Amino acid sequence: MTNTVASEWVKVWSVRSTWWCLAATMVLMVLTALTLGGSAVTEQRQVLDASGPVVSATSFVQFSLVALAMLVITSEYSSGSIRSTLQATPIRGRVLAAKALVVAPVLFVAGVVSGAVATAVVYVVLSAEVFGGLVRLEPGALVHDLVTAGVFFALVGVMTVGTGAALRGAAGTLTVVFMLLMGLPLLLVMTGVPLALEISLRMPMFAGLAFMGSADNLTGGPIPYSAGEGLAWLVGWAAVALVAGLAVLRRRDA
Amino acid sequence: MISLKALTKKYGDHAAVDDLTLEIKPGAVTGFLGPNGAGKSTTMRLILGLDRPTSGVALVGGVPYHRLKEPLRTVGALLDARAMHPGRSGRAHLRALARSNGIAVGRVAQVLEMVGMEPAAGKRAGALSLGMSQRLGIAAALLGDPEVLMFDEPVNGLDPDGVRWVRQLMRSLADEGRTVFVSSHLMSEMQLTADHLVVIGKGRLIMDAPLPEVIARSSLTAVVVRTPYAGELAVRLAAAGGEVTRTGESELQVTGMAVERVGDLAHEAGVRLHELRTREASLEQAYRELTESSVEYGVRG
Repeated sequence: MTNTVASEWVKVWSVRSTWWCLAATMVLMVLTALTLGGSAVTEQRQVLDASGPVVSATSFVQFSLVALAMLVITSEYSSGSIRSTLQATPIRGRVLAAKALVVAPVLFVAGVVSGAVATAVVYVVLSAEVFGGLVRLEPGALVHDLVTAGVFFALVGVMTVGTGAALRGAAGTLTVVFMLLMGLPLLLVMTGVPLALEISLRMPMFAGLAFMGSADNLTGGPIPYSAGEGLAWLVGWAAVALVAGLAVLRRRDA
Repeated sequence: MISLKALTKKYGDHAAVDDLTLEIKPGAVTGFLGPNGAGKSTTMRLILGLDRPTSGVALVGGVPYHRLKEPLRTVGALLDARAMHPGRSGRAHLRALARSNGIAVGRVAQVLEMVGMEPAAGKRAGALSLGMSQRLGIAAALLGDPEVLMFDEPVNGLDPDGVRWVRQLMRSLADEGRTVFVSSHLMSEMQLTADHLVVIGKGRLIMDAPLPEVIARSSLTAVVVRTPYAGELAVRLAAAGGEVTRTGESELQVTGMAVERVGDLAHEAGVRLHELRTREASLEQAYRELTESSVEYGVRG
């Protein structure tokens, strides 16, 4: 297992797409957090934790990291290198586990680092007098927001790896992951049907927001469960995707 | 050693590999021949556990591939030289493979040198020519210093020097006692490289024999005799069981009889000979005969 993880580690860092996705994440995170933070202090005129906008930004920023996680598996199918991967490691579950074990920490660190940079930028910019000095930097909130955002990204990454293993193609994987992360929950909320809203709130987007402590369900109401339950839903989604990926990987010819 | 036992792979009703039983032995280059779609690549994928057989088993050194703990140390295979991430350098590709099987990373430089790819090892795989990809694929196969090697069309895209290099490599790997299983469409190349041949058609085994035997069995391998007494000798040879064709005023072609026997019979009959030689079929001719009948079989079956 250690060998397989080491191999996947070499693979993820030896393609440019990884670096592009991380750079994009950094840029997106800073810009999105700054935009969201700026509009929060100018519109609501209330004190803002500098790390708060990072949490709100995750819904948008996650897609550059989804791309990273997706390419870890779908590029193997598009290039045919999956055959050399499975020749080296014929126990297929091990390959999938190793990919998840590499993607999760990379995305966690990407979330923490990009979140930290974004927080610093938000703090510096919004400290300017025009914004009325409404921004503050509070260590407890900072650690909480960065760590939970990192965990959220890590779990979204694992879910993407699983989905990629199940679908193999980049287009299909991206479509399904986008629908799960954003398309479906928003559509369900828009229907206004109570059951649809309940389902939507259990999907990764709102589960993630609940977990990260930004508990607003977009209709003005709260997310009706705890941060812990939010984490449980996230883990559940990641696990289901991983199991689906494993089932396909094991059964189908490579 | 590779053993296939009643190996079968079906896609719906179509059998890509049909009840294949054979052993590929160490210390020899075994050529794997068959028309396009005969099931050669599928057979290799089944051996490597990439495809799951419908029935039967494929064993490497007595165990199924997925039981091998660090398979690259036992089996090295080149199936498709292009099957590499186009954005990853050859060196990184090999390093990832080495890591996966606990092979010392220093071995990467060794195999790159063996295949003459050192200068281009930092290039992205997508920027390599087919010939260079082929060399890189061979480097990957050699990485774990395996006792079994499989190559699917290894000389594709190689220049004449590269082709000769692959031929010598196969030879030396077999001489070291390894099992070398190689498919190719280039019959002239196979005739130079292979010790043993496995021929399949429509997924079925047509021939599993040493190269000289395959050549000898061809109807185009014949004894050619030139004599002023062609008619007389023809009668004599036919009576002794040879199949005789008169190809000229004073020339006969005899099949089904060794050249020594033809000479002895001529001597007994007191017939003077002006020429007595064996004309060997080329592998290409022998192969065409074999696979033609497989196509016929396929149509009937």
